Amino acid sequence: MSSAAGPASVSALGKRPAEAPRGRSRSGYPRYVAGKLAGAAVSLFAVLVTSFFLFRLIPGDPVKFMTGGRPVSAEQLATYREEFGLDLPLWQQFTDYCGKALSGDLGTSYQFHAPVVDKITEALPNTLLLTGTAFVLYTALGAFLGTRSAWRHGGLGDRLNTGLALTLYSIPSFWLGLLLIVVLSVGVDPVPGLFPTGGMESGREEGLAHVLDVAHHLVLPVVTLVAVEYGQTLLVTRSALLDEMGGDYLTTARAKGLRDDLVRRRHAVPNALLPTVTLVFVNLGRTVAGVVLVETVFSWPGLGGLFYQALSVPDLPLVQGLFFVFAAAVILMNTLADLLYPMLDPRVGR
Amino acid sequence: MNTKDQHDNGRTGHRPWRTRLLAAAGAGALLLASGTVAPSAASAAATKDGDGGDKVLTVAVAQSVDSLSPFLAVRLLSTSIHRLTYEYLTNYDAKDNHVIPGLATEWKSSPDKLTWTYTIRSDSTWSDGEQATAEDAAWTFNKMMTDQGAATANGSFVGNFAEVTAPSPTRLVIRLKKPQATMTALDVPIVPKHVWEKVDDFSEFNNDKDFPVVGNGPFVLTDYKPDSYVRLKANKDFWRGAPKFDELVFRYYKDQDAAVAALRKGEVSFVAGSPSLTPAQADSLKGQENIRVNDAPGRRFYALATNPGARAKDGTKFGDGDPSLLDQRVRHALFMAVDRKAIVDKVFRGHAVEGSGYVPPRFSSYFFEPSAGQKLAHDPAAAAKLLDEAGYRKNADGKRLGKDGKPLDYRVLCHATDPNDKAVGKYLQEWWGELGISVTLDCLDNVTDPWLAGKYDLAFDGWSVNPDPDFALSIHTCDALPATPKDTGGTDNFICDKQYDELYAQQLAEYDPGKRAEIVKRLQSRLYDTGYMNVMAYPNAVEAYRTDQIGSITTMPSAAGNIYGQDGYWSWWSAVPADSGDSSGSSSSTGTVIGIVAGVVVLVGLGVLFTVRRRATADDRE
Amino acid sequence: MTAETAEPSVKPGGPGPRALARRRRRASVARFWKEYRKHRAGVFGLAALVLFVLVALTAPLTVGSDVDSVTDAPGQPLESPSGRFPLGTDQFGRDLLGLLVWGSRVSLLVGLLAAALSVLIGALIGITAGHFRGWYATVMMRITDWFLVMPTLVLAIVLATVLSRSLGTIVLAIGVTTWPTTARLVRAQTLAVESRPYIERAKALGGGHWHIMSRHVLPNVMPLILAQTTLIISSAILAEATLAFLGLGDPMVVSWGGLLQDAREAGSVSAGDWWYLVPPGIGIAVVALAFTLCGRAMEAVLNPRLGVSR
Repeated sequence: MSSAAGPASVSALGKRPAEAPRGRSRSGYPRYVAGKLAGAAVSLFAVLVTSFFLFRLIPGDPVKFMTGGRPVSAEQLATYREEFGLDLPLWQQFTDYCGKALSGDLGTSYQFHAPVVDKITEALPNTLLLTGTAFVLYTALGAFLGTRSAWRHGGLGDRLNTGLALTLYSIPSFWLGLLLIVVLSVGVDPVPGLFPTGGMESGREEGLAHVLDVAHHLVLPVVTLVAVEYGQTLLVTRSALLDEMGGDYLTTARAKGLRDDLVRRRHAVPNALLPTVTLVFVNLGRTVAGVVLVETVFSWPGLGGLFYQALSVPDLPLVQGLFFVFAAAVILMNTLADLLYPMLDPRVGR
Repeated sequence: MNTKDQHDNGRTGHRPWRTRLLAAAGAGALLLASGTVAPSAASAAATKDGDGGDKVLTVAVAQSVDSLSPFLAVRLLSTSIHRLTYEYLTNYDAKDNHVIPGLATEWKSSPDKLTWTYTIRSDSTWSDGEQATAEDAAWTFNKMMTDQGAATANGSFVGNFAEVTAPSPTRLVIRLKKPQATMTALDVPIVPKHVWEKVDDFSEFNNDKDFPVVGNGPFVLTDYKPDSYVRLKANKDFWRGAPKFDELVFRYYKDQDAAVAALRKGEVSFVAGSPSLTPAQADSLKGQENIRVNDAPGRRFYALATNPGARAKDGTKFGDGDPSLLDQRVRHALFMAVDRKAIVDKVFRGHAVEGSGYVPPRFSSYFFEPSAGQKLAHDPAAAAKLLDEAGYRKNADGKRLGKDGKPLDYRVLCHATDPNDKAVGKYLQEWWGELGISVTLDCLDNVTDPWLAGKYDLAFDGWSVNPDPDFALSIHTCDALPATPKDTGGTDNFICDKQYDELYAQQLAEYDPGKRAEIVKRLQSRLYDTGYMNVMAYPNAVEAYRTDQIGSITTMPSAAGNIYGQDGYWSWWSAVPADSGDSSGSSSSTGTVIGIVAGVVVLVGLGVLFTVRRRATADDRE
Repeated sequence: MTAETAEPSVKPGGPGPRALARRRRRASVARFWKEYRKHRAGVFGLAALVLFVLVALTAPLTVGSDVDSVTDAPGQPLESPSGRFPLGTDQFGRDLLGLLVWGSRVSLLVGLLAAALSVLIGALIGITAGHFRGWYATVMMRITDWFLVMPTLVLAIVLATVLSRSLGTIVLAIGVTTWPTTARLVRAQTLAVESRPYIERAKALGGGHWHIMSRHVLPNVMPLILAQTTLIISSAILAEATLAFLGLGDPMVVSWGGLLQDAREAGSVSAGDWWYLVPPGIGIAVVALAFTLCGRAMEAVLNPRLGVSR
């Protein structure tokens, strides 16, 4: 969640694209792409390494967790260890893990007795539905309000707009979620409880009714995510536009007698898109990883909830797998942003 | 360059903010619209669905399913589902927990107490039409005895079995290695052999791919979505009689407050809480119309266990329990400083009973109360005196010193997921602080590791006691200690007491219920005196249901008992739909449909309006 | 660039007397304040901060340390707000206003320490990676990039789980997960500073690495670091609340996030005990917002070109 990344990233991310691709772009786009992809691969590998070793730090014997404290003899424990490959030296466990990971096998969950990949693919669509919907909405809202705000920069509207965005940005998402549940789900007189309190479906509807049922469940978690996330997009769009509007070409455009509206649409916005696009992609990756809180508050059956369950056991293979997925989402999106960047920036020749 | 001027020009733009406020208001109206329609039909959870006219009973649960395979499942939710979908050999009477027939109609043991013969009923059929026979039972037990993967969940039941055979479809014979009093309490789901013999790897088969799952209980498992719901349909051919509800749905709410809110709105018919509703939730539900709070004596005890010096059967000592706790006087003093009444009043807010013996009072035949002279009543002054006598005196700073001259500081192991542990921990810190002893609360999501390693001084402990207390008693015998520090024993907290063990062996071999109960009480008396397990309270089972959806439901024991997590399927099997409930014919989905459609229409309309206006002004200007 | 606006008086290589330097610094601080005052939101944030810090510092006098005692709790459990308890009581009957005030100490302290740790790591890596080029910089920036893609909250949760539950753990978990942005910013700034001619001169005059970094680079990146710190405190406070809310904090310590976690565990969401739920959240939001506003105002003063918060 951005609450952990914090508003600091508002400025940091806004500036980020300025350094990355421009310098290297002279060597041509294909080489640039190759470089970025190689970088992503290295990052992915680094994440694999971390996820493997980081969780070995969790104190305790996984086999004893697995057997849940039931009476088990040392031989049986040894059998389990052998079955899960925990008797091998660490480096060998690691190479095995990497080898299997390459073939798409992330091990077997201790608590669910099922392949980690299955558990993840079960929960992933739910998380994508939630984050995807929220992402589209907050990006659109943030970009739209950001543009408006920049254009009427300094005015009352702008001040209210940025003020509200900053305030919502400072609110802990879980708290906002809880309040929404109290007011809109439980209902505080005279407001009746309008929305379901949690979960993704009531499990009885079929067909269209089912789709609408899910949509109904989706409202509050999405509102929560949008409220705490749109501010960042708004602020970055706004400052990118402000930067752009200092450009001489805009003065020229205006001098030509073009209307404000057109200047904005045809000139300023396309250029200011750059940092926003970067942010948008980085955000999407982060939202997938940061959805833990909102999923917890709204009992959403996604990756976040699964991660939390896995961590409390600790269900090492599942934790490792999820951590890898979370980090991979960020890497993937960062790389996509990097690849798109030169295409969008007219100043970076291809 | 001066950017400021240009920005100021922007301010002269023509589209005022008001338009957007209007749009926002529209969006607000959308939210209202989509919602207001829905709750009007909210009380439909247990009522007729628009199409089939099925009576659905929805239960909110906080636990997720670990596995639907009876060989793997250990969580309460999963084992409850297995109770509903598979018959066990025996069952417990809802009224007073005595053993009654299940899949077995009668049973007897041989004179040498080593051979048990069960008669299997002939009127139980699997949901695919096949007859359930002794062969299924024999196969189930044999599988658990021979395949380690199949022994994961219930292996302990068959540890003492020598041989299980089915001489005829209605006769099951179990030969034991040594006598065992719990042969009528084998809580093992019997599965259909013809379905399960096709499974190759029992350690990874979760029984959650092919629906409906073949079973012979009062309900048939028809659908499951992880962390969302489990759906069961009534088994109309169930030998004891068909359930009154047509469908039973367990819905997953990670957040207990969400579950309670869902109950209030009628989205669910029943909420159990995990392990029970909080006092605040119970109190807020009590005054509500159409909601009944069932505040029943629980089957759990909530105790403070001390580390008696962890050791293995081979004599190796391990762990790092504070040596001062090896002194019985210290253990008694600590417990005497605990105000059990305050815990019941303040932490449980009356939803619990003050602790005394080990087995909760609900199992009246086994319940033990210490005599007046034996009782460790709340008396901080006496506790301080006892500590002085034991040689743990206060220093100038008011801290009691251990034998090593360092101030006593006990680590109390607590479950991070249990608010009661944390709350009681705060009290302990202050009560024992008065005695001059510091407390460090060590809260973990999973306490297994330090627990098994004996790396704690005291710990919050609690077990659900079965109608047959044997298991809860067995975990304090020397025999339950791990063989070596490398093994995991069945022991709860490394208690090993000769006197206790003798009494335990006596009761296990005693087949007369009355005599056995007497021995069990003496056993508890001994446990109480050791001061290793100090029961602070018996928390109530606090749960709630909607009376406009559930007309009547059986508690266990029927006089005042719990509904969720019974030793049997009585509650859901017996639940009768309320007549009044189906006032609103449509299900909530219809409301949702209307609401969302209305919302979308409003939104699209606004969008169109907005774009049109925008285009219009743009054209005018250019 | 940035630092020049803030401290234009630092002249290339001039080893002037200390007093002169001090006077120059004082002048630049005054100038900074004059600019800062123009940002109304920043002034508002600063005022809010001063207020909260005062409340936190005087808490031992106003509410006393036994406000979190459960055995001497003055009220009944979950009383709604009244004259005696303006914000009602919690599930032990403790005064929630008192707990809120007491909790501000922990929330602010953890926020400050975590941000300090984060910025310290970030600045150290940023400056050194900017100063020593070559393989060292490459390795450091790779590490930074790698931390940057780590999902922050997830990593912090993992760290808090791996280590024991204490305030130190929370500080560490936040500190080691939030530094990469600072490192990147500081490095970029360091590179800019070091490309100036006077650094060349300082080097030619025999200034060692330490001298260059501490005497020339650090003063120039300091304003940026300060602004960054303010912003990170804000996220650290949110992160503390988040971790405490997820049950990873020290249960014996009263903090705002911990209060929210207690409120939720007590079931006050469905019971509608808003007085237990609302104030801690507002506290978190206001302090986080105040730090953000200050940080943005500082950023705007230091780098007018950014145009962030006007």
